Amino acid sequence: MQQHRALILRSNRFLGSSLVNKGLLSSGDLEAANEKFMDAIQTPELLKNASILTTLLYDLKVLDEARLLEHIVEEHGIGLIDLNHVELRSLPSTEIDLSLCWASSTIPFDKVEETYMVASCYYMSAPVVKHWEELLDGKVVWYGTSMASMSRGLERLEDVLAAEKAAAAAAAAETAETE
Amino acid sequence: MAYSVLILDDDVDFNSLLTDIFEQADYIVTSLEDPIEAVEVFANTDYDLVVTDHKMPEMTGAEFMTEIKKLKPEVPVIMVSGFLENDTIRALISGGVGGVFLKPLNIFSLLERTSELIEESRRFKQNSDSDSGSAMAGLADQVDGDAQMGFAFRSFPCKSRTSIDFAERLYSLRNFKSTLSLIGEVGTHFRLICEDIRNFYESEKEHFIYLSPGSFDAEQVLFLFDEAKAAGAERVTCVLLDVESMSDEQKPLVAALSKCAGVFESIETPSRTIFCVSGDLDVLFDEGRIDEHLYILMGTAEVRVPALRDCASDIAVLAQQMVVDIIKEKGLGSVSRFEAPAREFLSQHLWDHNYEQLRATVRQVMESSPGDVLTLAAVTAALQSNAAASPRARFEARLSGARVDYVRAASVLLGGTRAKVAAFFGTDTTVIEATLK
Repeated sequence: MQQHRALILRSNRFLGSSLVNKGLLSSGDLEAANEKFMDAIQTPELLKNASILTTLLYDLKVLDEARLLEHIVEEHGIGLIDLNHVELRSLPSTEIDLSLCWASSTIPFDKVEETYMVASCYYMSAPVVKHWEELLDGKVVWYGTSMASMSRGLERLEDVLAAEKAAAAAAAAETAETE
Repeated sequence: MAYSVLILDDDVDFNSLLTDIFEQADYIVTSLEDPIEAVEVFANTDYDLVVTDHKMPEMTGAEFMTEIKKLKPEVPVIMVSGFLENDTIRALISGGVGGVFLKPLNIFSLLERTSELIEESRRFKQNSDSDSGSAMAGLADQVDGDAQMGFAFRSFPCKSRTSIDFAERLYSLRNFKSTLSLIGEVGTHFRLICEDIRNFYESEKEHFIYLSPGSFDAEQVLFLFDEAKAAGAERVTCVLLDVESMSDEQKPLVAALSKCAGVFESIETPSRTIFCVSGDLDVLFDEGRIDEHLYILMGTAEVRVPALRDCASDIAVLAQQMVVDIIKEKGLGSVSRFEAPAREFLSQHLWDHNYEQLRATVRQVMESSPGDVLTLAAVTAALQSNAAASPRARFEARLSGARVDYVRAASVLLGGTRAKVAAFFGTDTTVIEATLK
């Protein structure tokens, strides 16, 4: 996770500024969230879940997530998705870096021809959008999603990728045995 | 002294009501219902202020204002109306209206604004009386800009949308609780901008202290806080200049000061912090010149200071204001004025080092050819000369900054009395005023 430290800092900083600039959050509340965020990133075990969005939503309870999602739809014209209704799997020709997904609260959940469908809680944070678009060569259709949907999605994806990895290892062992 | 007000409203009842309000507040009132007649009367009479309705049959209030501003632009105008579209309000503001009041009226606000506008207008008149006609151009532009925005702003003349937006954003954030970050390019005049923020407050109990890498340590900060407290400060705003140039020892202190933690725990006076940074914050972060803590801390309320090239309409006015300041500083009799091609050049030049570069250039022009007309040739020569001798220019700029610091320090030590400060430095008060300004 440490390899994504700069992205975590940058994406959270931008998200906070965007929320304040769009009138979704007060500076005082952002300041309180930043304090907790800074404490979290000093502790390696907490870095994976360090997010001002989580703090604002569940800890300080000062951000209205429904209003945030509504803003994303109205201002940015992107759709919403509930990852609970999506079958998560590794995508063809994509090496999904789970730590990057955690760091940016973002999951590429489907691929149609050369275009990736990507869900994110951090769409309002320019560094996250830029980072993923560079990674996926700009062929991205973005979706907004709730933090709860994202957290469950990331946990499920962890399980799916672990199962896929185990299956691949078993298949490789079987092939080796046959040979 | 009673001031005279012209009231224009085609609604007889409302006109009568306005007349009563202003007469009871001891104004001499002329009330008219026909805008065409009002233009004629206005042209032949001296008024201190005009109050007009917007919706009238012959011409709108905005059109009336345009007509009378052509005749006497210095007379403030207040618009009173039942309903105004946002676009109309914007058009009125850009046309120079001093205030817009919607019905039902808040009489106290109306009278308060009236008094403020007349006061501003008189101050402007006094200034223009003491300066020559050419100096008036710079000041008139500034007063016009202030009238448009409804508050005073000196660091940018606010003749362009970008600088108006910047000034309005700063004004809207003036009551920030804890931290504010000003991020600009190299050569940005952060100190003057912060002085504008200070001047948003009328109270003498709002104190600003300025700390730069050369003067920032815990002892100095605590001393300045004690001093502010002794002077009756109810709140202290710490302005941290050149944060990106702070040493590794100073950076933790910056974060601690903004939270009154660690060595600053003993500070009792409520405080807040303005961070001033030259450069791109992300680049500075990547380069390790801004640490993680500061990087996040600075994101709470962040304002980008426009570069001069982004507000081209401001540059010539700003340069003219600098000329006026130099004239006052040197005690010269007449005020020089840039010729049209020079103004055009000033507006179009990119000014990579922003305000500081413009100031150095204007100073150089005034040193080399302080005639009545400042020519394009003098400006380009000054620019080339400063570019060629940039180490010297930088040194002079530093000396100039140090001089301001000394005068400020003496002013604080001598209780703010300009005469005493002038006597201390063996000069007169106008020089001290100009330096402190």
